[in-house]
Amino acid sequence: MRLSYPTNIKIIKLPCTGKIDVLYLLKAFENGADGVYVAGCMEGDCHYLTGNLRARKRVEYAKKILDEVGIGGERLAMYNMSAAQGPRFVEVANEMTERIKELGPSPIKRKSTVKGSK
Amino acid sequence: MVIGEGKPIKDILFMIENYSKIILAGCRGCVTVCSAGGEKEVGILASALRLARQNEGKEIEIKEVSLERQCDPEYLEEIRSFVDEYEAILSIACGAGVQFLAETYKKTPIYPGINTNFIGVTQEQGVWTERCQSCGNCKLHLTGGICPITRCAKSLLNGPCGGSSDGKCEVNPETDCGWQMIYDRLKELGKLDQMEVIIPINDWTTSRDGGPRKIVREDLKL
Amino acid sequence: MVNLTIDGRKVEVEEGTTVLKAAEKLGIKIPTLCYFEALTPQGACRLCVVEIVGGARRGLSASCAYVAEEGLEVRTDSKRVIEARKLVIELLLLRCPDVPKLQELAEEIGIDRARYERFKPEEEKCILCGLCVRVCQELMHVGAINFVNRGSSRKVSPPFDEYSSVCVTCGACEVVCPTGAINLDEITKNIPRPIKADFDERLATRPSIYLTFPQAVPKVPVIDRQTCMHFLNDACGACESFCGPKAIKYDQEDEVRELDVGSVILAPGFELTNPSLKDEYGYNRYPNVVTSMEFERILSASGPYQGHIQRPSDQSGPEKVAWIQCVGSRDNSCDKGYCSSVCCMYATKEAIIAKEHSPDIKPTIFYMDIRAHGKGFDQYYERARDDYGVRYIQCQISKIVEKPKSKNLIIAFIDKEGKVVEEEFDLVVLSLGMTPSTSSRELAEKLGIETDSYGFCQTDSLNPVKTSRPGVFVCGSFEAPKDIPETVSQASGSAAFASELISEARGTLICEEEFSPERDISGEEPRIGVFVCHCGINIGGVVDVPAVKEYAKSLPHVAYVDENLYTCSQDTQTKIKEVIKENNLNRVVVASCTPRTHEPLFQKTIREAGLNKYLFEMANIRDQCSWVHMDKKEEATKKAKDLVRMAIAAASYVEPLQEQELSVTKRALVVGGGASGMAAALGLADQGFEVALVEKEKELGGNLRHLHYTLRDDGIQTYMQSLIERVKNHPLILVITDGVIVDFTGFKGNFKTGIMAGPGMAYRQIEHGVTIIATGGEEYKPEEYLYGQDKRVMTQQELEGKIVRDEINLGHVNEVVMIQCVGSRIPERPYCSRLCCSAAIKNALKIKEKNPQSRVFILYRDIRTYGLLEDYYTKARKAGIIFIRYDLEEKPQVKIEKGALQVEVDDPALGERVVLNPQLLVLSSAIVPRENEELATLMKLQRTQEGFFLEAHMKLRPVDLATEGIYLCGLAHSPKPLDESLSQAAAAVSRACTLLAHDTVSVGGMVARVDGEKCAVCLTCVRVCPYDVPFINEEGVAQIDAAKCQGCGSCAAECPGKAIQLQHCEDKQIIAKSIALFKVEAV
Repeated sequence: MRLSYPTNIKIIKLPCTGKIDVLYLLKAFENGADGVYVAGCMEGDCHYLTGNLRARKRVEYAKKILDEVGIGGERLAMYNMSAAQGPRFVEVANEMTERIKELGPSPIKRKSTVKGSK
Repeated sequence: MVIGEGKPIKDILFMIENYSKIILAGCRGCVTVCSAGGEKEVGILASALRLARQNEGKEIEIKEVSLERQCDPEYLEEIRSFVDEYEAILSIACGAGVQFLAETYKKTPIYPGINTNFIGVTQEQGVWTERCQSCGNCKLHLTGGICPITRCAKSLLNGPCGGSSDGKCEVNPETDCGWQMIYDRLKELGKLDQMEVIIPINDWTTSRDGGPRKIVREDLKL
Repeated sequence: MVNLTIDGRKVEVEEGTTVLKAAEKLGIKIPTLCYFEALTPQGACRLCVVEIVGGARRGLSASCAYVAEEGLEVRTDSKRVIEARKLVIELLLLRCPDVPKLQELAEEIGIDRARYERFKPEEEKCILCGLCVRVCQELMHVGAINFVNRGSSRKVSPPFDEYSSVCVTCGACEVVCPTGAINLDEITKNIPRPIKADFDERLATRPSIYLTFPQAVPKVPVIDRQTCMHFLNDACGACESFCGPKAIKYDQEDEVRELDVGSVILAPGFELTNPSLKDEYGYNRYPNVVTSMEFERILSASGPYQGHIQRPSDQSGPEKVAWIQCVGSRDNSCDKGYCSSVCCMYATKEAIIAKEHSPDIKPTIFYMDIRAHGKGFDQYYERARDDYGVRYIQCQISKIVEKPKSKNLIIAFIDKEGKVVEEEFDLVVLSLGMTPSTSSRELAEKLGIETDSYGFCQTDSLNPVKTSRPGVFVCGSFEAPKDIPETVSQASGSAAFASELISEARGTLICEEEFSPERDISGEEPRIGVFVCHCGINIGGVVDVPAVKEYAKSLPHVAYVDENLYTCSQDTQTKIKEVIKENNLNRVVVASCTPRTHEPLFQKTIREAGLNKYLFEMANIRDQCSWVHMDKKEEATKKAKDLVRMAIAAASYVEPLQEQELSVTKRALVVGGGASGMAAALGLADQGFEVALVEKEKELGGNLRHLHYTLRDDGIQTYMQSLIERVKNHPLILVITDGVIVDFTGFKGNFKTGIMAGPGMAYRQIEHGVTIIATGGEEYKPEEYLYGQDKRVMTQQELEGKIVRDEINLGHVNEVVMIQCVGSRIPERPYCSRLCCSAAIKNALKIKEKNPQSRVFILYRDIRTYGLLEDYYTKARKAGIIFIRYDLEEKPQVKIEKGALQVEVDDPALGERVVLNPQLLVLSSAIVPRENEELATLMKLQRTQEGFFLEAHMKLRPVDLATEGIYLCGLAHSPKPLDESLSQAAAAVSRACTLLAHDTVSVGGMVARVDGEKCAVCLTCVRVCPYDVPFINEEGVAQIDAAKCQGCGSCAAECPGKAIQLQHCEDKQIIAKSIALFKVEAV
């Protein structure tokens, strides 16, 4: 459909939102994301049966952690949409962009950069 | 197994407030199974701590490790080669593991990242419940396999208190009454007569009230 | 070839190439105004000037017309060039200050304010570039316009400023004009007639060269010779000049090809019934009466109104929308006596989507019977009614009247109280039925196959995909109107029969591809090759591809970078292979379009170059970048760099993965020996595969044993006997009766099933490559309406048996009452049992046949004689069978009064309560699945709430179960009549053959793998896997069978010990992408 959406949206592809790990969500913020959202299939339509339902719970858990560490859980969201819903994708992209713009840059980006090791 | 759960992140942040280079040590034993201190939790907690510290503008370097078991001395050696490069260790093993680490690395301050709660079972995926208080004096043979010390809120040994109503406990109406369960189970087994056997006053000397306990097996000692 | 240098960069181009095109090849953009790909360049606007610094003619020259010479040196960015361009733009702006295109150019080149005053007081858009004149003359061979006058009054106009008589209103001048100065109305009096797009139901327009529909396969455009100027006037040819890969061939002709085939499948589909047949609804006269297909396009986001629901008369958003059902269906007045089967559901779907789109819409559906007879359809219908507020009114509409001013439509109908009510609607949708197309009738005639009176292909209920001519098979709505699941299943069914005939030749026309061995890259540092694609102008028109390429060079591990016009082209594949070898690359990244369509191609290419196909990553800089950020070129380029950086980061971590080839056990296990199971077993055996058929009863036959006649056939018992004989005597079929399945292991191609069988319950194990589940269903034993308490109350199946065995003297039966939906469509069992309406009519007709004097009443909620079965409903009404509708809230009352059965029911047609005293009360009882829970647990199969097995996809994969290698047919799937069960059994055969026909199956690749060292044996994976794949092996750690794993990654995400990784989607790869995404300092 080639509907346009904000360029600040970048996609990391997973086979199913059931593959979403709380760690991926936190890491994204650690690396400098201002907002993250998980786009899964419509509830009840998961190709892998329940992946999107599991993902929603993990997103909730990660939001709690983000609240605790002062990043703010509202910077993370989960949306359901189907592959056929181009306009819905755009609507979500705009909605999330607006939300993050209102919240401003991630608080950690206003502070000094920090090193981590593994 | 030992069941634990993560401490609130703000408590952990307070403990490690003054450090900028720490080891975060998980354990591949019980706490992995109860999703409190395995490699996955190490990753998540480390990331959360870094985020919080970035937010405060105070750098922290976290070395993430997962030891096979923090309750066996050999496995604790896994971090020996680099432990001195770090200011503190945050362990998310059970209380035993945390202490054992502290005993092994005397110069490095050790902090607990989880609360150790009980000895229990996986009731279902994501739900753990208590089964044993390690009193050291097992009576399960008398009570149809249901522990009155653990399952009765008051650890009564000879039947329920007056607060048992509709099979629930008066201390917490969501908890099943331990003695109701014992009764039902014995009835099912056709062994209701067990109910009439008086269990004598408990000998708590084997329990935790008598200080740290110790088991020695001479046949196994080297 | 000639070599030249542009801005210090060397480029090699074909002789005759202009400097402009050579620069384009380097990705250097030169602005133009009067340049048009399909025309000879004229150098009129002078905007494209460049400086020739080395070569014969030094100085400023128009690059569009300057042909490259060997050794030429060109600057496009020198001060002289910029000054010259600035002057051109300034002068043009002086004439046309209001033209946005010029303002943009001015801004780009850095003119912040004009140095001169406005030249003309009135608005002038024409820059006198002459493009329109040249297009009209040179391309269209028309010459309707030209320059007239001189000096400041020079302009473009038809001769003598009159309307042109030669103009063909092609509109080319309007299209090419860079400034929007041309207005066709000023050139000609002819009114342009835009070409209507058939796919958009003529609600939108299309060009002469177009894609027939967005999902076309192959997805290539076609030229409409009827409207194309090239074919009409031997003119234009612009598309040929524009097509980069030179794919346009005007001399292509239809060819007649002869094919030798062993069998033929007819799938010509259907046409919509012509709405003019029902003139009383005013289609064509009233703009706001649209067909259901038109409304479907109106709802579509890619449709004529971009998905905004508008009515055609005034483009306003309608509030009250009505659907009229059965337009050209169930209507003998226009020779369409059959039911079209799908309209009730599509109208319901359209109403729901409309409502979801604009919540203010109030949908009303006028219907005769709601036919929601498909799996899960009744629940959908109830949701539409109860949750979405779709209003259903049971009334046939006789006409529509338009209000002339508002163009609103008035519909008169009879309400529940029996009063005639008139209501106004903003939009009316006619739910058109299906009809065989004229061309499919002609096809039938050519092939010499029989059709019925409506033109549908003739089949019989025991051979639902065979036409009257041997070797010719049919599927889809040419056989009878049907919904998607039945169509898909029948398509597979016809494939089974068609391939059975030629099964001996299976595999004889295949040539196998051979690959050289894979290069071992272990221990090598990543050396990544990056290919950035222009995709013609799809990417290159928005994203600065050369800049992305340059950027990629700076990234870690990148050993080679190139850009291609089309990375997917054949010659690029050859080049990629060479580059991999020359540069010793061990990973490849392609930045182009979507991996969904192109990943396999590139994977094959790198495999041919000796690299494992998993050493590949793709960055989608088209769908995720150029297409969606068209108007933000700079940001799009920046994002393309981000996406490429992410792909390269992930590529550094990808590892070679080995897929395993496992041999296929060429044997099938069919569970269930009823009609479906036997048909499936025979089908497979006739294709040459061994079959083990397990039946839990002592005898084969299942429900067939209780079925004696259908509406279309009387010889069911004979058919069953022959089926049983053939199954028992087939050398490839092993029949196991009295068999119970007790264990089940393995995966597609390699299953092992344990069966206890025979009187002694002896255990045996069957190895098989596929499994077909045909465990069937059975008639529900009612608890309602005195069933079991009074001998005169019986089910339809029992009645049929008694009639056949002469246990009832129908001559003495004066009154019979049948009650429909007993145990169906109720809250405990919310589905329609699909076949009870026809069963009741079948038995009622039998009673009437034996005793025409008898009175037969059928108490129903909706009569669901879908498709061609409708004819029998008509026949039943003609035979005097009385149909009385009842509501779920007002069920019939049955009691015994003085020894006689008494049935009371409210008759909505009479508006009275009717009391009947039948001698027989026949209950049309629900179809329930046979006991299958244990089997479902053993084989780990999903079931619906009602206990029917759940297929992989309701519409598109109706016979596949979620576990690969296991297929489903018959009543175990959902209630259905015999012909549909047989068709589905054939479909299961066909699906099973796709696996059995192979000698090996490939497993592994993107599947989860357990690191036993890290496994804490916590059982999390065992519990969370939606397919029950992980298990704890003998070594005491979790194990995941590569053959069974579906690759969703749930286990990997939840493993608390991080002992599980989903291969090719490992944490390190995902996190690398996330790190790379934000590594801004590298940009």
